[in-house]
Amino acid sequence: MKKALLCTAVAAGLFAGPAMAERGTDGQLKILYWQAVSILNPFLSSGTKDIEAASAVIEPLAKYNEKGNMVAILVDEIPTVENGGVSEDLKSITWKLSDGLVWSDGTKVTSADVAFTAAYCMHPEGGCAQVSNFTDVESVEEIDESTVKVNFSVAKPFPYGPFVGTQSPILNKAQFADCMGAKAPECTDANFGPIGTGPFMVSEFKANDVVSYVANPNYRDPAKPAFASVILKGGGDAASAARSVLETGEFDYAWNLQVEPEILNQMASAGKGKVVSSYGTSVERLMVNLSNPDPALGDKRSTLEGGPHPFLSDIAVRKALSLAIDRQTLVDVGYGSAGQVTCNVLPAPEIYASTANDACKTQDMDAAKKLLDDAGWVPGGDGIRAKDGVRLSILYQTSTNSVRQATQAIIKQWWSELGIETELRNIDGGVFFGGDQSSPDTFQKFFADIEMYTNNFDGTDPEKYMANWLCSDIPSPADQWLGSNMPRYCNPEYDALVAKMGSTAKLEDRAALAKQMNDMLMQDVAIIPLIHRGGVSAHANSLEGVKMTDWDSELWNIADWKRAK
Amino acid sequence: MFNYTIRRLLFAIPTLFVISFLIFAILDLAPNDPTGNLPLTIPPEVRENIRISLGLGEPFPIRYLKWCQQFFINEPLNLIEQWFDISIGDSENRLRVQSWATRSPVVDLIVERLPQTLWVLGLSYVIGILIAIPIGVISAYKQYSIFDQIGTFISMVGFSVPTFFTGLVCIVFFSSTLGWFPSIYDTTHEVTDLASFWFQVKQMIMPVMVLALFNASQLSRFMRASMLDNLSQDYVRTARAKGLKERSVLLIHVLRNSLIPVVTVIALGLPQIFAGAIITEQIFRVNGLGQLLIIGIQGADIPLVQTLTFIFAVLIVLFNLIADILYGMLDPRIRYE
Amino acid sequence: MAALASTESLQLMLQVTGLSMHFPVYKGLMRRQIGEIKAVDDISFHIMRGETLGLVGESGCGKSTAGRALLKLYQPTSGRVELDGTDVTALEGEDLRRIRTDMQMIFQDPQACLNPRMTVGSIIAEPLDEHTRLSRRQKRQKARELLDAVGMNPDYENRYPHEFSGGQRQRIGIARALALEPKFIVCDEPIAALDVSIQAQVVNLLEDLQQQHQLTYLFISHDLSMVRHIADRIAVMYLGKLVELASREQLYQSPQHPYTKALLSAVPEPDPEKEAIRERIILQGDVPSPANPPSGCNFSTRCPIAQEQCMRETPAWRELEGGRYIACHMVQ
Repeated sequence: MKKALLCTAVAAGLFAGPAMAERGTDGQLKILYWQAVSILNPFLSSGTKDIEAASAVIEPLAKYNEKGNMVAILVDEIPTVENGGVSEDLKSITWKLSDGLVWSDGTKVTSADVAFTAAYCMHPEGGCAQVSNFTDVESVEEIDESTVKVNFSVAKPFPYGPFVGTQSPILNKAQFADCMGAKAPECTDANFGPIGTGPFMVSEFKANDVVSYVANPNYRDPAKPAFASVILKGGGDAASAARSVLETGEFDYAWNLQVEPEILNQMASAGKGKVVSSYGTSVERLMVNLSNPDPALGDKRSTLEGGPHPFLSDIAVRKALSLAIDRQTLVDVGYGSAGQVTCNVLPAPEIYASTANDACKTQDMDAAKKLLDDAGWVPGGDGIRAKDGVRLSILYQTSTNSVRQATQAIIKQWWSELGIETELRNIDGGVFFGGDQSSPDTFQKFFADIEMYTNNFDGTDPEKYMANWLCSDIPSPADQWLGSNMPRYCNPEYDALVAKMGSTAKLEDRAALAKQMNDMLMQDVAIIPLIHRGGVSAHANSLEGVKMTDWDSELWNIADWKRAK
Repeated sequence: MFNYTIRRLLFAIPTLFVISFLIFAILDLAPNDPTGNLPLTIPPEVRENIRISLGLGEPFPIRYLKWCQQFFINEPLNLIEQWFDISIGDSENRLRVQSWATRSPVVDLIVERLPQTLWVLGLSYVIGILIAIPIGVISAYKQYSIFDQIGTFISMVGFSVPTFFTGLVCIVFFSSTLGWFPSIYDTTHEVTDLASFWFQVKQMIMPVMVLALFNASQLSRFMRASMLDNLSQDYVRTARAKGLKERSVLLIHVLRNSLIPVVTVIALGLPQIFAGAIITEQIFRVNGLGQLLIIGIQGADIPLVQTLTFIFAVLIVLFNLIADILYGMLDPRIRYE
Repeated sequence: MAALASTESLQLMLQVTGLSMHFPVYKGLMRRQIGEIKAVDDISFHIMRGETLGLVGESGCGKSTAGRALLKLYQPTSGRVELDGTDVTALEGEDLRRIRTDMQMIFQDPQACLNPRMTVGSIIAEPLDEHTRLSRRQKRQKARELLDAVGMNPDYENRYPHEFSGGQRQRIGIARALALEPKFIVCDEPIAALDVSIQAQVVNLLEDLQQQHQLTYLFISHDLSMVRHIADRIAVMYLGKLVELASREQLYQSPQHPYTKALLSAVPEPDPEKEAIRERIILQGDVPSPANPPSGCNFSTRCPIAQEQCMRETPAWRELEGGRYIACHMVQ
């Protein structure tokens, strides 16, 4: 009896399903990205807008959902050591494509396409922007028509770099076969309209302006997508993008609304749409320069050889700097729903997030002063603390951006309360983050005492991210300042932990190691985390199914989006 | 006149080469890195590879000469091929000026956007002229009247308030509050019938009018000043003494002569249609050339910026010449040899 | 020499009574009227048909303004101007336009008064468009005839004014004024901007045309010897007012008004003997501003024979015997 009921329910569900949601019944979906899409081949652009616009068309083997968990897309199950998909020595992973997968032009998806994609991106002359996903890949073998095996040159405890996540989708071999290497940029037609397996296909693309999609007739789920067509318009600014969804209702979805919190709230009060946010791994942080940036040092400036920093090498000073900051105020002033307080440089996913440093969430000016007093830093005649003739005077740099300048100003005030002098500096983002060797103002050269910016990592695995702070990664003239260890933090214990993580496969163990490394950085105050930054987007009330994620493209589940009935 | 035109055109060639070199050098010296805006998660080696794949590995003079070859030889050849549907030489492997961001030929991007720019901005210029001339004429003819005072006030406001502000005010008022016009220009819209034509009109009204008012306020001042200049001339009194109708005096004698400087100002301002409306295009998301330039600058898409800027320079040089020739045609006192 | 002899021409052509032309002066933020310039103040005279009346005076005395006000190129502040019995000042719009065929003006600056963008032919023919119903060809023919009449090559009709010399331009200006066959022409310093060698040619042309077309002239000039040559009667103006009007012979032989005397004393005599004994009367001081004229007689501030009465009372414009007029307390 019970079984029969269940059967009926399933049957009803099966019948009701297609009746309620049929492909292409919900008309047009209008999306606004205020940065216009330039190209639809994510291997030739790492602009988020380009990658996300392509994600509605071309898909990887597996994506990350809104919780940061992997979900199978073109395969039936994610390979693991347990199910035999990942070899015991952690040096290979075998993916098995789902049955009956076809491209939007009706041809079959095969392992040759997957292997081709790897070859395409790994071609030395192609300038592939996503080549880091293929790090340590030795070869990609086609086992049979639907099975592909990726061999790594080293043990990969986390082998989900290639073909996982929006940055690593599968290309159609037939379409891109003539576009290898140096030829890649010349295949304009292919780059502007890749053939994919996703719910939509490109019908028209106006570069730097608008992408028009129509539903893919060969999409694997016959009931999806609900929308018959999508317009993805680009250009303008974030505030007007927010307005078009929240106030005028002209668009259904607006991406990345970096708008002052006040203005966003006011627009949302019009009642036409909702503001949604998601938190990934982005952390706005202060990098503390442990080396000496004194211009008198010449070539040795801000390098290990230049010796330790005259006062930031004192951990008491670094701790005091952190303690004096009220992070919640910074969130309220500059971020609103796009930020939350954090005390970790590795704030997410949840299993990696440490709770050992949460004390920093509250400002404690008295404790900070006491720390400095105890360490012998006492206020001089001008109110600035000094010890042995060394004054606590900080040059604090960041990129030009109104929120960052507001943050700088507030922090400067707190530090001056503490008796520390701060000089503020802001540098155009193109220069600050652009790796121009000849410019003294790059964030790598770090010719300042403190610098502020945001960094994050792609996907959910922090191994590579935590390896940023190895001794060997300290920027210096010898490596063309290309290192990633901005604080010039050098701790053999930390290096050992990084090495250990590289050979640990079990998730729980990896999490414990990551937390330990995070805590080490936090307790040594080499990095002062400020704000866990989230993405903010807005969607119309009439749009259902949006599951915003920071782990993947915001359009990762666009096949499930539908019009509210 | 013909010889003069030819001579001016010949002189323009070295000028334009110098300009192209200067633009190239300035853009090259600017601390701008095409990979600067990429996420920090992209490792430096990958950035370096991207730079090399964009052709940045080569020294400056080589890059400049390559650009010259692509722009002055390959692109015209390609255009000729497309127009006449023929193939000249090895057209398959001929390198065109490639945008770094889109990896597609820059000229194709420009050609794609030209119609919108011409429609929206050209129309705004025409409407601006149509508004400015009567206002200028009446203001001058009835100098210090109420009409003149109001006209002066409005044109001062129109001239001094930047278009990005008026544009924003228009969007907030007409789109957000009243909901009359779309705030975002639908560039995929196609006019097929009356209803879609009406939609096209509605989406064009705001950008066109914002720019038209700006142009009109500038031109109406010119028109007024020029009219005042001519109204006090003796030949106007002669015309009145002849017993001409006031209309004829105003339209045949004063207006025609006053239009000479105004026409040249209009001609000189025409390149603005292509370049000057950057901000308005950005605000209303009209996919014109100005917006293309902004996106190029933001993305450090040097070939795109270089090519667009150079085309603007060509237009400015060209319209300067046109203005001079127009002046010669309109004013019999000026003869070019 | 102009003809005054024939009896039929002894009809009144122009009668001017109490003509004034005051220009308001505005100043300040709100542009309030703070006064007025009395460019022409209450002048009266007449001109007979076929006669030439010379109007002389220093620069800025209001002679050109008077000429323009006569033709209603300005709206006079008060007074009457009767042309052949019609009050011109009362006319407006269409009626005024129509009467302009009867009265024309030749301007001082032949360069500025011709529209630089029109060909000579169209400048001359333009009034014909407005006032006649001639065909294109007829108009063109007429323009060529007029060019011929002023001594220019008719083939010049397609040229622009800037291609001509000053004297030629003035001929064009004359041809233009003649196009509508007017009865009365105001010649506003027509020779002042020309070379001396050309001046005589133009004046002779004007005289010839006067004979051919029975024209009546008001000849405005500051050049007393040229006026003596062309005018039948001469009016002298000072600071917006007429001070003396007499026939040429009367005026030159026995000037009455002290200002006229001073003016004539400045004219060099062709006869060296007379020139040697010529006594120059040098006037003291500057011409007062017309915005702020002296009380009483306008000339009283500079007059060598002024009395206390002159400072107080404005002298009346009165007729003396022999058809001459004067405004001076001291002349009986």
